[in-house]
Amino acid sequence: MNAVQTFKLTKEFDGLVAVNGVDLEIKKGELFSLLGPNGAGKTTTIRMLCCLLKPTRGTASILGYDVVKTPFAVKNLIGVSPQDTILSERLNCRENLALIGKVHGLSSNEVERRSKELLETMGLTERSKDQVRKFSGGMKRRLSIAMALVSNPQVLFLDEPTLGLDPQARRTIWEYVAGLKGKKTILLTTHYMEEADSLSDRIGIIDEGKVVALGTSQELKTNVFKMRNMVVSTGNLTAEVIADLHNKYSRVAMTKGELKISHKDLDFKEIVDYLHSRGITVYSAALEQPTLEDVFIQITGKKLRD
Amino acid sequence: MKFWEIGKRNLKEIYRNPVLLGFLLGMPVAFMLVFCAAAGGGQASPIALSIVDEDGSQTSSAFVQYLGSVEAIELNEPIYSEKSQAQEDLEDGRISFYLFIPSGFQEAKQAQQTVNLELVYKAADPMIGLQLKPIIEAVGSEFLGVAPPLNVELKVTESKIKNMAVNFYFPGIAIFGLMILISTAAEIIAGDREKGFLARMFTTPARPWDFILGYSLPFIPVLIISTLIYLGVGMGLGLTVVGNLGYAFLIFFLIGLCSIGIGMIVGSLVKSESQAGISWIFIVPMAMISGAWFTVERMPSAIKSVAGVLPFIHAIDASRAVINGSSFSAIMLDFYWLVGWAVVLFAVGIVLFRRTMVS
Repeated sequence: MNAVQTFKLTKEFDGLVAVNGVDLEIKKGELFSLLGPNGAGKTTTIRMLCCLLKPTRGTASILGYDVVKTPFAVKNLIGVSPQDTILSERLNCRENLALIGKVHGLSSNEVERRSKELLETMGLTERSKDQVRKFSGGMKRRLSIAMALVSNPQVLFLDEPTLGLDPQARRTIWEYVAGLKGKKTILLTTHYMEEADSLSDRIGIIDEGKVVALGTSQELKTNVFKMRNMVVSTGNLTAEVIADLHNKYSRVAMTKGELKISHKDLDFKEIVDYLHSRGITVYSAALEQPTLEDVFIQITGKKLRD
Repeated sequence: MKFWEIGKRNLKEIYRNPVLLGFLLGMPVAFMLVFCAAAGGGQASPIALSIVDEDGSQTSSAFVQYLGSVEAIELNEPIYSEKSQAQEDLEDGRISFYLFIPSGFQEAKQAQQTVNLELVYKAADPMIGLQLKPIIEAVGSEFLGVAPPLNVELKVTESKIKNMAVNFYFPGIAIFGLMILISTAAEIIAGDREKGFLARMFTTPARPWDFILGYSLPFIPVLIISTLIYLGVGMGLGLTVVGNLGYAFLIFFLIGLCSIGIGMIVGSLVKSESQAGISWIFIVPMAMISGAWFTVERMPSAIKSVAGVLPFIHAIDASRAVINGSSFSAIMLDFYWLVGWAVVLFAVGIVLFRRTMVS
C-alpha cells in the first residue's frame, strides 16, 4: 500500500483549474518533492491531502484512508507544516507543541518527551520558554516543523518549509529533513530546485496544475537531456581534429578557446585520450550537469521562478 | 479533551494580551460608571428656580426664603426685581423658567385675598411646569396659611430600593456590556482564521465541537469576572439587590453564554477580524429594542414582537425582576427562554463551524 495516492485529483475555483487530474503514488518512507513555480498547484494539492479542501473531481488516500470520506482518520496520521509559519504567538515553544500533541491525543508525558527531543534537535531548547512572537523567521519555521512532527505522524506534509529563510537557516532545516528520510513518508513542496534536488527520493514537476514530469532527480535529467555535454579548454586545436570530432560526435562547437562536445553516450576519458593522442594540450575538461531548472525550462518552456 | 487544550490556548492568548484583557475587564467598570452616573446614579438633584420679586416687600422676601428652604428647590441667584430682565434671560436660554411674584403680594396676603403667582417656562420644556406647579402650590399654601379645599396627607415610606434609576438602568447596561462578548468572540475566531491558525488546527483530529467549546471556554472566566464587576460597581453606585443575587448572576451568565454563542456564529461566517466588526450592526439595535437603555413599552408592536423573540429582553426583564425582589418562579419562562437560546446558538455554531472546516 502506498502512503499517499491520488487519483485524478482535481480542484477548480470558480472555473479556474488549480490542480488538474494529478495522479501520484508515494511509497512509505519516501521523500517526495512537488517542484513547481508559485501558483502551480502545489499548496492546493497539499490542502486537499490534508482534508482542508474538497477535490472537485478525483480523490486521494493517505495510508488507505480516503481524504474525503474519512477525513478524521487521515488527520490522525498526518503532520502538517503550512507554508506560512502559523503559530500561537503568545504561547511559548513547549505550549505550542503541547497544543498540537494533545489535540492528537498524546499523553502529557509523551508530549513532554517528544517536545524535549524536538526542541533539542531544532536547537530551540534555550528559548523554549519564550513567547514565540519574539522569535526570528528561521526559529519560527523550525518550531512549525517541530509542531508537525510532535504527534509522530506517519505522513508529513512540508509546504515550502524554507520559504523566505536565509541560506544558513535553510541549510539547518534541510539537514533535519534529510535526517527524517526513510523514517517518515514526506511530501515536500518547494520552488527551490536545489532543495528538491538534494533532499528528494523522487520529484514531481508540477506546472499549471499538472504533473508534467516524475522521477528521481537523475532520471528527470537523463530523460529530458538525452545528450551529455563536455567542455574542454585547449591551447592548440587544429581544424583537422575539429573535423574529426564532428564526424564522431553529434554536436561540436568552438567558442572562446573552449570546445563543447554533445553526444548521447559521451565518454569523458575517450575524448581526453583522443586529444592527447593528437598532441592537443588540454588545460581543463569537465562534464556539464543539467540542473532541475534546466529540466523545468526544457519541459515547460519557462523558468521556475517565472 | 481536545476542546480543553484549544480552550487553554485561547485563554493564554487572551490573558497574555494586555490590550484585549484591559478591554474585556476594564470596559464593564467604565460602562457602569458612565451610564449609571449619566442616568441618575446619584441622588435626584433639586430644581433650580429663578425668581422675579416685583413686590420687593418683607413678605415676598420671606416667601422667597421659604421657597429656598424646600429640599426640592434650589434658588438661582440673583433674585430679579424686573420681570423683563428674567424674560430676556429665559428667551436667550440663560435660565429655563422663573417664578414671578407680582407687586401687591404683601397686600393680598394681609387682606387674605387671592394671591396670583406666575410660573413662566418654555413651551419646549412642558414637564417643568407640571413638576413645579404642585410644589409651588403646596409651599405657597403653607406659607400663606391658605387651607386647600382638600387635605391630602402625604406619607413617605422608606423603599427598599435606594435609587430607582440605578435599579432600572443597571440590568440593561450590564447586559449591553455583556453583549460586547459577541464582537470579541467573533473577532478572536475571525482573527485566527485570517492568520491561518484555524486552518492549521483543522489538519488535526479536533472536531467542530472541540473548536466551539475551545473558543467559548476562555470567555467563561471573563464572563464571570465581568458580571461580578458589573454587580460590584452597580452596588457601589447605589444598586439595591432586594431579591436573590444568585438568580441575577445566573441570568447574566446565561445571556453572556448567548452572546458568546452569537459570537461563535459570526466568527464562523466572516473571513477576517475586520469583518467581525459587522456584529455591532446587530448589537446596538438589539440592545435598543430589548430595553437596555429605555423602556420598550411605547415601541411599535412589531418591534416588541421581534424583541420578544430575542434573548436580550428576557434577560433584562428577568434580571430587573429578581434584583427588585421577584422570586425565581416569576422569571421561570425567561430563564428557560435563555437556556433554549444558548443551546440553539451553540448547536448552530457547531454546524456552521463544521462547514468552514473544509472548503
